Amino acid sequence: MFSQWFGYEAKRKRLLAKAPPGPLKEYLSVPFPDPATRLNQTPILALDFETTGLDAKTDQILSVGHITIESFEILLASAYHQIICTRGDLKEESVVIHQITDDTKSSGQGAEEVIEKLLQAMAGKVILVHFAQIEKNFLQYTCKKLYGMAPVFPIIDTLVLARKRLDQRTALYSPNDLRLFNLRENFQLPRYRAHNALSDALATAELFLAEIELKQQMKSPRLKSVIL
Amino acid sequence: MEIELQEIADFVSTVHPFENLPQAIIEQLIKKMTIRYVRRGTALALEPDNEGRLYLLRKGAVILLSQQKKLLGKLGEGDICTAFCQLQKKIEFSIHVDEDTLLYSISCQVLSTILQNHPEELSYLQETSTQRLNRKMKTMEEKNNLALSLMQTSLSNVMHPTVITAEINISIHDAAIVMANKNVSSLIILQDGQAVGILTDKDITKRCVAGNVPVSNPVEHIMTARLISVSGDISAFDAMMIMTRQHIRHLPIIDNQQLNGIISISDFLRMEGRNSIYITNAIKKADSIEEIQEYCQTIPQLQLQLVNMGATADHLAKIITAISTTVTRRLIELAEIKLGAAPVPYAWLAAGSHARREQSSHSDQDNALIISDQTSQEDTQWFTALAQFVCDGLNQCGYVYCPGEVMASNIKWRQPAKKWTEYFTNWITTPSPKALMYSSIFFDLRCISGDCRLIDDVRQKMLKLSPNNNLFLAHLTFNALKLKPPLGFFRDFVLIHDGKHNDTLDLKHNGLAPIVDLARIYALAEGIEEVSTIERLKKVSGSQSLSRESADNLLDAFEFIGNLRVKHQAQQINIGINADNFMAPVEISKLERSHLKDSFKVIQNLQTYVEKRYALA
Repeated sequence: MFSQWFGYEAKRKRLLAKAPPGPLKEYLSVPFPDPATRLNQTPILALDFETTGLDAKTDQILSVGHITIESFEILLASAYHQIICTRGDLKEESVVIHQITDDTKSSGQGAEEVIEKLLQAMAGKVILVHFAQIEKNFLQYTCKKLYGMAPVFPIIDTLVLARKRLDQRTALYSPNDLRLFNLRENFQLPRYRAHNALSDALATAELFLAEIELKQQMKSPRLKSVIL
Repeated sequence: MEIELQEIADFVSTVHPFENLPQAIIEQLIKKMTIRYVRRGTALALEPDNEGRLYLLRKGAVILLSQQKKLLGKLGEGDICTAFCQLQKKIEFSIHVDEDTLLYSISCQVLSTILQNHPEELSYLQETSTQRLNRKMKTMEEKNNLALSLMQTSLSNVMHPTVITAEINISIHDAAIVMANKNVSSLIILQDGQAVGILTDKDITKRCVAGNVPVSNPVEHIMTARLISVSGDISAFDAMMIMTRQHIRHLPIIDNQQLNGIISISDFLRMEGRNSIYITNAIKKADSIEEIQEYCQTIPQLQLQLVNMGATADHLAKIITAISTTVTRRLIELAEIKLGAAPVPYAWLAAGSHARREQSSHSDQDNALIISDQTSQEDTQWFTALAQFVCDGLNQCGYVYCPGEVMASNIKWRQPAKKWTEYFTNWITTPSPKALMYSSIFFDLRCISGDCRLIDDVRQKMLKLSPNNNLFLAHLTFNALKLKPPLGFFRDFVLIHDGKHNDTLDLKHNGLAPIVDLARIYALAEGIEEVSTIERLKKVSGSQSLSRESADNLLDAFEFIGNLRVKHQAQQINIGINADNFMAPVEISKLERSHLKDSFKVIQNLQTYVEKRYALA
């Protein structure tokens, strides 16, 4: 009863009723997976953005990378990466991190086009992100600008999964241990180039599979046990 | 492809057999791959729809277990599991995850579509280890055929097509004039157009001048009438081997009674530089152990040279063994010069690798002495002195003393023929594992010098006994199975049976020796007198003991491991260290590793088979 009114699905239905025709409405018209679904039957989209800075209000999404997980298998065929031709010049301190230069970015696609495709890819799936705050804020803010309305998305955050796991242990850990790179090291996952949207999405997807394998008992956990 | 997946592409490109595929194909493969993560301690659930998939290990480790839970193999980073894509699918194992594992996989069906224009890679993935090994040996043979070397050159390509001849009634004097005018060292003597003999400059000096035969006599008096000739389509190498064995310096080539050419040792010397014949000839003339020792020191260099010429392991072993035989014979001659003639007939025997003609440089000595039954107590001193002289001499020349004392200098192995018959009869009819462990070396025996009939008689009796004696064969098998090939490679280690790792691969004990042992069992079971492993396998091929197909597989494996050893030892000699049999996996290319693994598999299968056949009740 409760989740029906306050859960993602309820929120989706309420927003769908108000949404203007267009990409956002199409996104909202696809139902989310039921929270009772087992994770191995849940379609998941591992997602990562590179941004021009950390403030969603003033900064912009610079590149989008995502990859799909189905039945606990990462489908490399679904790998997607796109650079957005943002407004204005890039800040040096961010270029150092994501290594996308002004020249590269100028060959990118427009934000509207990229977000429309992203919403199509996200429809009916749960979003998987490491440290969801950035992606959530930027996506909501961008949608608000483009469509006048911020959507809702069910999210799994690998950072939160890891933190919960570490909290159950008596040993202390530092916030640094929760970084994507360090968590992957713990699982002996291979090193990928960091700060590329697709590499990071793939890295997050693999980390998620490793985290879930730890939780996996006789049956796959349900979606609601990991969702934000 | 998204450039961001480059890391995955880079990884896949390092996995055999994908190394040489174009980037575009790698990209297509990657697009169809999926990634799974499996925890340590779980059994890998395979596709429920039974669709075959190829697995690549990106991180972690898995072990393959037989239905009886026996360890079959272990895969680590960069290893590939092709079992599910084999066309002759027969999955008799399960996969258990030994370390947390990141696994890439692709459907076999999709794989075969993408690789349709890359048949070599595709067949690698679809074939069983045996099929792959067969194919590898075929392509290796083809490559060697292209190399210009004695082995691959037919004699007709290197012989002198113009043969200087003379009629049989010519005088020695006139013959010498012809030879001088034509500047040749031999003359083929004809009668009614047929070659009936050969006259060499040596015959003129030794038999005519030194023998005080008038030069006006016809050549017939001093020529060699027992003419050894060969056909032009044998290899130059085989011709060289015939000349070495027969101690002749000139060899006419006769096809269908037609004299087509001639070749001399000096032709080979020219072709090969400082070669085996040169060494053998020099050893034959050596007057002291020190002199022989000096020539023996050039053997590693010769080995290197032959490898560079493209010699296979088999050819190389034959040359090295021929030199050992010459050394032994010359030492015996030197001993007889020192000790006087033998009081009764005897034969010097080589055992083990020397007998099998499978020596490499740095082989140790294994020998024995068989003495005529007419011998008496007084002869003991002479034979003891002979054995001591020859064994010490061999040791000095680099054939170190046998650690197991299998040497003629050991009284146990310096016995009259009746004692040898008794030994063999006991070994076969009342076998004990321990006695057989020390004696199996004597089932590979070759007569090197002296009266070879002595050992032939013993051998004939032995070969009548062995085939019908299953207990003997069972004990022989039991001992032989102590040496097993490893399971394969895991990371940069050699994976052995109890799941432990070795740092190096012992090519001799874990590769060649198990095949040698199997061949011995088959030969004795079939009563075959051949002693060399290759000849034994060829001879038993298609018999009750060994199917033709299995024989071919074992021959392939023997050749592959042997060639790898030859290459490894040549590298060691090249950098100035003593050649050995230990190869570190880092030295072994991915391709070689996969062929080695296939060879191990062939050996394992046949070991299991003899084990079942001769199981000790």
